Amino acid sequence: MKYFKILIMEPLLSEKESLELIGRMINSAKNNLQKGLGNVFLLWGYLVAGISLVIFILLLILPGDTRYYAYFLYALMALGTPFHIRLIRKMGQQQLVKTYIEKIMDFVWTAFTISIITVLAGMLISTVLVLPGFADIEPGYEFLRWFPWTFVTPFMLSFYGFALFVSGKAYQFRPLATGGWVCWIATLLLIAAFHHPYLLMIQQMVLLISVIFGFIIPGHLLNKKEHSHV
Amino acid sequence: MFKELDPVLHSQLRLAVMSILIGSDEADFVFIREKTGATAGNLSIQIDKLREAGYIEVMKTFRGKMPRTVCRKTEKGLEAFEKYVEALRGYIGG
Repeated sequence: MKYFKILIMEPLLSEKESLELIGRMINSAKNNLQKGLGNVFLLWGYLVAGISLVIFILLLILPGDTRYYAYFLYALMALGTPFHIRLIRKMGQQQLVKTYIEKIMDFVWTAFTISIITVLAGMLISTVLVLPGFADIEPGYEFLRWFPWTFVTPFMLSFYGFALFVSGKAYQFRPLATGGWVCWIATLLLIAAFHHPYLLMIQQMVLLISVIFGFIIPGHLLNKKEHSHV
Repeated sequence: MFKELDPVLHSQLRLAVMSILIGSDEADFVFIREKTGATAGNLSIQIDKLREAGYIEVMKTFRGKMPRTVCRKTEKGLEAFEKYVEALRGYIGG
C-alpha cells in the first residue's frame, strides 16, 4: 500500500503584500466592541440612580438630624458586586480577542473602583467612629457630624467624569465621553453651590441626573450598538 | 545588502496570525480563524510552528464546558516580527 505525502504549498507573498497583510490583520481587532459592556454600565447606573433617589427622598421626609442616616444607604452599592462579577465573567467567556485598549481600560476601571471604595468606606468608618464623640455637641453645631458627607457626591462625580471620559475616548464612543463632561460640570456646580441651604438635596438630584447621562444612556446605546453589530 | 526574511514569518497564514497577536493582547483561536479565513486544521499546524519557534504561547482553557485555545505573542515573537518588518522595509525601500 502506498502512502502519499500531500504537501500544501503556501502562497508566497511579495514584500508589498506582506506589509498590506500585516496592516489589515493588526487593524482587525481594533474596532471590536466588547460584548456585554453596556450591561455593566446599566447595572451601576440604575443602582446608583436608585440609591441617590431614595437618599433624596429620605433627606426630604426624615425629621431633624435623623435624615442624615440616609447616607448609610450608600453601603447598598456593595449589592452590585456579585452581579458585576457575574457580568464580567460572562464577558470574559464571550470575548474572543483582548486588545491593549481593553486591557488598559480594565486597569482604569479597577483604579476607579478602588477610588470610590476608599472614599465611601472611609466616610462610613469615620461616621461610625466619630458619631459617639459628638454626643454632647453644642446646639447649632450638629451639622459637623455629617458635614464630611457633603464632599462624597462631588468626589464620586469627579471620579465618574474621569473614568467615563477616558472610556469614551478609548472606545471612540462619544456618549461615554459626553457623560464624563456632564459629571465634571456637575462636580463644578456642586462645589460652587457648597453654601446653598438645600445643598444635600441638590447633590442627590445632580448625582441622579449625572448617572443617567453618564451610565444609563451610554449603557443602553452600547447595547443597541452591540445588537446592531450582530 | 538585503536582510534575509525570517522563514517562520514569511508565510501568509503565520504572518497573519502573528499580525493579529501584535495588534492585540491575546486572541482566541476562533477569532484568528474568522479573521484569517483559514481552516481549523491548517491554522492548528501554523500555530504549532509559531509556538515551536517560541514566537507565541498557546493557552488551553475552558469557556464554560467548551475547550478554548488562546494565543499570545512572546517577547521573542515581538522581536522577530519587528526584524521582519524592518527587513521588508529594506526590500521595498531598496
